[in-house]
Amino acid sequence: MNLIVFTPAGVRSAIGRMAALVTRELVALGCQVTVVRTEAQRLLSTDMHDFGATVLAWDDEASVLALVRSADACVYQIGNNIEFHEGGVRWLADFPGLVCLHDFFLGHLFYGWAQTHRVQAESVLQNWYGKEMAERFFSFSDSESFIEGTREFMPMTEWICSRAEGVITHSQWGCDRVLNSCSGPVRVAPLPYDAPGAINSPFDRRSTDGGTLKLLTIGHANPNKRIASVIQAIGLSPLLRQRIKYRLVGAIQPDAMESLSALAAHLGVNLLISGEVDDSELNRAVNESDVISCIRWPVLEAASASAIEAMLYGKAVIVTDTGFYADIPESCAIKINHSNEIVELQSSLISLLEDQSRVVSLGAAAQNWAAKTFTAKNYAEQVMEIILDISRSAPAIKAINYFCQTLRQWSYRDNPVVMAELTHQLHIFEQNGTP
Amino acid sequence: MKVLIVNSMAPFVWGGAEELAAHLQKNLVIAGHEAEILRIPFQWEPAERIPSQMLMVRAFELWNVDHVIALKFPAYLIRHPKKTLWLLHQYRQAYDLYDAGQTNLPPGQEGLELKYLIRQADQESFAESRNIFTNSEVTRQRLLKYNGFDAAVLLPPVNDPELFPGGDNGDYIFAGGRVNGMKRQHLLLEGLAKADARVKLLIAGPPDSPDDAARLQAAVERLGLADRVRLDLRFLPRQVYAEYVNRSAAVAYLPYDEDSLGYVAMEAATAAKALITTADSGGILGLVKHGETGWVAQPNAKDLAVVMGAVFENSARTKSYGQNARALWESMKIKWPETVETLLR
Amino acid sequence: MKIALCSSLVPFINGGARNIVEWLKSLLEEHGHQVEIVYLPEVDSPELLFQQMMAFRWVDLEMADRIICFRPEAHLIPHRHKILWFIHHIRAFYDLWDSPYRGFPDDLKHRGIRDALRRVDGAGLREAKAIFTNSRVVSDRLKHFNQIDSEILYPPVFQSERFRCAGFNDEIVCICRVEHHKRQHLLVEALQHTQTPVRLRLSGASAGADYPRDLSQRISELGLTDRVSLDNRWISEEEKVAQLAHCLAAAYLPLDEDSYGYPSVEASHASKPILTTSDSGGVLELVQDGMNGYITEPSPEALADAMDRLYLDRTKTEAMGISARDRLAELNISWSHVLQRLLA
Repeated sequence: MNLIVFTPAGVRSAIGRMAALVTRELVALGCQVTVVRTEAQRLLSTDMHDFGATVLAWDDEASVLALVRSADACVYQIGNNIEFHEGGVRWLADFPGLVCLHDFFLGHLFYGWAQTHRVQAESVLQNWYGKEMAERFFSFSDSESFIEGTREFMPMTEWICSRAEGVITHSQWGCDRVLNSCSGPVRVAPLPYDAPGAINSPFDRRSTDGGTLKLLTIGHANPNKRIASVIQAIGLSPLLRQRIKYRLVGAIQPDAMESLSALAAHLGVNLLISGEVDDSELNRAVNESDVISCIRWPVLEAASASAIEAMLYGKAVIVTDTGFYADIPESCAIKINHSNEIVELQSSLISLLEDQSRVVSLGAAAQNWAAKTFTAKNYAEQVMEIILDISRSAPAIKAINYFCQTLRQWSYRDNPVVMAELTHQLHIFEQNGTP
Repeated sequence: MKVLIVNSMAPFVWGGAEELAAHLQKNLVIAGHEAEILRIPFQWEPAERIPSQMLMVRAFELWNVDHVIALKFPAYLIRHPKKTLWLLHQYRQAYDLYDAGQTNLPPGQEGLELKYLIRQADQESFAESRNIFTNSEVTRQRLLKYNGFDAAVLLPPVNDPELFPGGDNGDYIFAGGRVNGMKRQHLLLEGLAKADARVKLLIAGPPDSPDDAARLQAAVERLGLADRVRLDLRFLPRQVYAEYVNRSAAVAYLPYDEDSLGYVAMEAATAAKALITTADSGGILGLVKHGETGWVAQPNAKDLAVVMGAVFENSARTKSYGQNARALWESMKIKWPETVETLLR
Repeated sequence: MKIALCSSLVPFINGGARNIVEWLKSLLEEHGHQVEIVYLPEVDSPELLFQQMMAFRWVDLEMADRIICFRPEAHLIPHRHKILWFIHHIRAFYDLWDSPYRGFPDDLKHRGIRDALRRVDGAGLREAKAIFTNSRVVSDRLKHFNQIDSEILYPPVFQSERFRCAGFNDEIVCICRVEHHKRQHLLVEALQHTQTPVRLRLSGASAGADYPRDLSQRISELGLTDRVSLDNRWISEEEKVAQLAHCLAAAYLPLDEDSYGYPSVEASHASKPILTTSDSGGVLELVQDGMNGYITEPSPEALADAMDRLYLDRTKTEAMGISARDRLAELNISWSHVLQRLLA
């Protein structure tokens, strides 16, 4: 197969890292792959992951066009960040392909794109969510209320999936909207990841710290990482205040830094804010930690790269029992309910302190499971299989599109009886039940 | 040239349009072309099925065809760069019959949407056609009124004019064509009952149903006309039909509101026979000019009786009406070679 | 019964399938049925195939009591009592996939179309109440590609009672299209190797001018103009009947054809043996070497030898002619059988 993979490629992109792993596997499986990096123009010259393939920039219109015309299929890595996925959105609009959906909530991506495509954006909103909803979309004053106001009723999943010939998503959760908007095959495949920085036997260095538990939260310090809740949970228990060292590694806004530090100080919590660090420092931080907090609310991702990474490192993880995290086996993670967040966080941390062997066993089980599940080889094979499925459903879908276009030219308005008449003899065209 | 005639088909039904297509094919070949007929099954019940039939036709691919001549809905939706329409029928239930409340389109919004769909598709097909002709003035008017296209009338010629040389006027009026309520042969019988004793009538043609035949027979009996009327109710062999026309004194054809001239009238005019019709018969009035080429009566027995009597009152006049009918018909220049040439412009 | 005979076609191209349909119509009408022929256009282009296939699904023939479908994709027309007399697949997507006749690239997109087509064809075929084919070759292909069983129903020739045997002259006739794949040139090459004065009579029309011209040239080159008659036109049915009535034998040796071809059946009705080759395909379902004709290697020398044998051993030739006639009954090649099977 001759494939084009549209993806962010920079070292700062977790998706880029995953795409590089998958690309190398696809090549190993015999595919010809060319990568088109999709970051916003100002980021196009940053250092890249090693893809083992030629990498072009998405704004090199002539070259990309020539590539797309001669390829067997296009694969689009799409996530909720316009800075990383601007090129993907541009090319997907004209050339449908396989979408690897990293975030089922794409509100921010859409918002960013809408800045330069306002008229089209309004039409997309109206088309999927109706006039009333559409009017609300651009009316929110801040980030939090935007997420709250859109994630349930206007997640923009359909906007991308309706351009897809097929979708690979990374968990069952959030699939409804995908299935409703993509006319081709849809699959769930575990997100591939690796943990090159993991130290091989992390399990025997417990002794020296005299009962202190190092807790870590990685990534951009957004409210949805529930850092304040963790601080509160620790702060409300004397035992935890004494024995938990909580570290934040990742980009953080000054005002968040100020308020979280103040909260920790006020509650007497041992909080270390490291800010953004380089890869090797990040690896060291992960390796040194005992437990990683991956709790989230609301859950916006289809899967969590940081949780997978943490497990591949052999770390015990604490997660919110929802979405992708709910799929993790019970033996591999501590799951808490958002409705009782602080209390359950507290009791989980206390029980880990009381039985530190559990930290080790959780980590080992997690590493075992993650290493088997989140492999790039498995993912690459799924990609090739779904591309084959797409090639077999494409002819019928193309024919249906031809008829829909003709009906539109005749100003047809949706009529269920007529639809039933049109479709009832067409069931023999279904491939594996995909209509 | 390779010319494909495209027609809609109601399976197992063979009517005037099928005859026309067959004769068109024959005459295209006579003119030196290769010609075939494509008959596309059309199911319009229930009305919700119609969009699928339209899409079906639209999806067909024609290869190895130089020119298409399409006759009816939805056959004329077929795609081809050189498409000429000889419009015999639009889907009237989306047009004038819809307005008259005689449609199979469902009531309310649903029916309106189907009507609109059909009209949009029609507009597209008409716009992409090279030329549009209709087979009658009535069809032409309808096309203009509802779709805004100004087409030319191209009347279908008589298929075998050499069979109608005419001849001496006999002692009967001939009423040919299909026998059913709309063709109103019974009105002629009622007229005959009131007419002069020397008037004789021959009604010959295939009844649509046994009931139609029975009705006429009953009327003959009821009105006591057995000695003045002959009924030959069956599908007539062409020679027999031609003879009936050639030997008649005049030919009567009085359907209710028909679109076209009617083959009966055209054949009668070819044979130089005077024509009898009624004021509400429709298309035939193009050929019957009262006092010139025949008589136009009011559609009642009394008036018809007078007209039928007039045929035998003055045989010279009757003969000259017949000559005028022939002259008028010939002036319309409706012959197959010219028709073929026009269609292929 | 009201019966619709359905097939696909390309306008103005008269293939063998049209004959079957027209002849079947006459026969069914003779037996009192009402018959409508439904011919619909079809073009094998990969890009346009599926929308045409969907169009066929919308054909409504519910008013017929049964439908009989012939060429693809007519077998997709839905009906409660659908019978297939399956003539061939869209071969570029089936047995000709791995051949120079495919006509489009063997890439992901086209493989996808191929796989989807085979699946849909299978589903459409399985809707039928009964599936007949015109040859073993086609039945085998249906089994191999679509896993579907079928019954062979050999297509008879129209009004076979016209054919008769009036004697055996010195001519081996070949009455079919004069085209490269029908291989009249092989017969010409063979004639130069014969030892007897056996003659050849070749009759038939051609699509282009090249092949018949080359054939004519070769006949001259080999000095065979007095022993070969080449009549490059459609001969009338009467002429055909006359030729077969008087000939020594009939030759029919196309390259790997699916069906046995009407020429071989016509010859059999005229009680004449058939000369063919081992690579001719469907003809070999009809001809058995030494029984109702000769099957030789496709070489001029082997053919020449068979031609001489036909000339010299008249007793055997006549006997094989009678067997040829009997063979038709053996294989149930008759309209009464066709009717019985289709209307069962």
